[in-house]
Amino acid sequence: MPTNTYTALATVTLGGSDAEVVFSNIGSGYRDLILVIQAKSSTGNPAVVARFNSDTGTNYPYVRMTGNGSSAASASITTDTFLNIAAAFGINTSGNGNIIAQIMDYSATDKHKPVLVRNGDAGLGVEAIAGRWASTSAITSVTVFNTGSISFATGSTFSLYGVIA
Amino acid sequence: MQVIQHQELASSQASITFSSIPQTFTDLYLLFSVRPDSATTDTQISFNGNTSNFSRRHLFGNGSSAGSSSAADRYVGSNPNSSFTANTFGNHSIYIPNYTASQAKSYSADSVAENNSATSVQVILAGLWNDTAAITSLSLSVFGSGNFVQYSSATLYGILKGSDGTTVVS
Repeated sequence: MPTNTYTALATVTLGGSDAEVVFSNIGSGYRDLILVIQAKSSTGNPAVVARFNSDTGTNYPYVRMTGNGSSAASASITTDTFLNIAAAFGINTSGNGNIIAQIMDYSATDKHKPVLVRNGDAGLGVEAIAGRWASTSAITSVTVFNTGSISFATGSTFSLYGVIA
Repeated sequence: MQVIQHQELASSQASITFSSIPQTFTDLYLLFSVRPDSATTDTQISFNGNTSNFSRRHLFGNGSSAGSSSAADRYVGSNPNSSFTANTFGNHSIYIPNYTASQAKSYSADSVAENNSATSVQVILAGLWNDTAAITSLSLSVFGSGNFVQYSSATLYGILKGSDGTTVVS
């Protein structure tokens, strides 16, 4: 039997709309975390963001590049109170986009936490983000929400995996 | 992540197909390294033998500039073609979440190809197969005319969601 390299940690398919999804009590037995989201918004295409360990400090710098089907762009944020994991393309009312975030060395206590994100929707655009949680604390929770106070709609799926080194 | 199947071409072939894909996973992850035997550089995908209802939007960089384009086609990435440096193959990954769900199938693709520092391209792509059927097969082929050369390879993985009994989601 091949070794399973993605260990399922938790998953949820929303039975009703919800403003945020929280993964908590994350154990330290893995090297990296993989977060896979395929979600719908109740309206519009709001930015989807994440916080670690409920940290609301300005500890989330990131750089991103986007393609909307006609032009490319790039932007960076040196300090923010959340990590943007989908600026405008990863979620809308159709649910035809997806977000994949890789959080490296999430349980390490001697380094900040790098995060690589890919998201996109064939009808809107595609985005790549390189971010960092500027904390040496081990990640024990991940909160996903959006900045427009818009709910994730019924049927949205959020899955967290652990990757063993 | 578990291997479903690995294929490596013993001779040139028009396509690489994974059929009878188990319906027991949540997501699919496809890694492939291919090279066309023609002047065409691009790879395309189909699901369940269906070549309709595809669209994509992508971001690319070629070493000197970046751009973005979109189309209603099955393009998923670029490769070295028959005139590029010998023995170089394009490298690609495609992630397909919820491939058995009764909803349209979105997918994310990453692709790189280079010609020994003379030419290079990197692509990240968002695709959509606007069909609610579960994916039971998928096929890669050259976008245009041509075959994949000998030693082109592809590996299909399945990823299963679940719980470890410790992590809480709310």
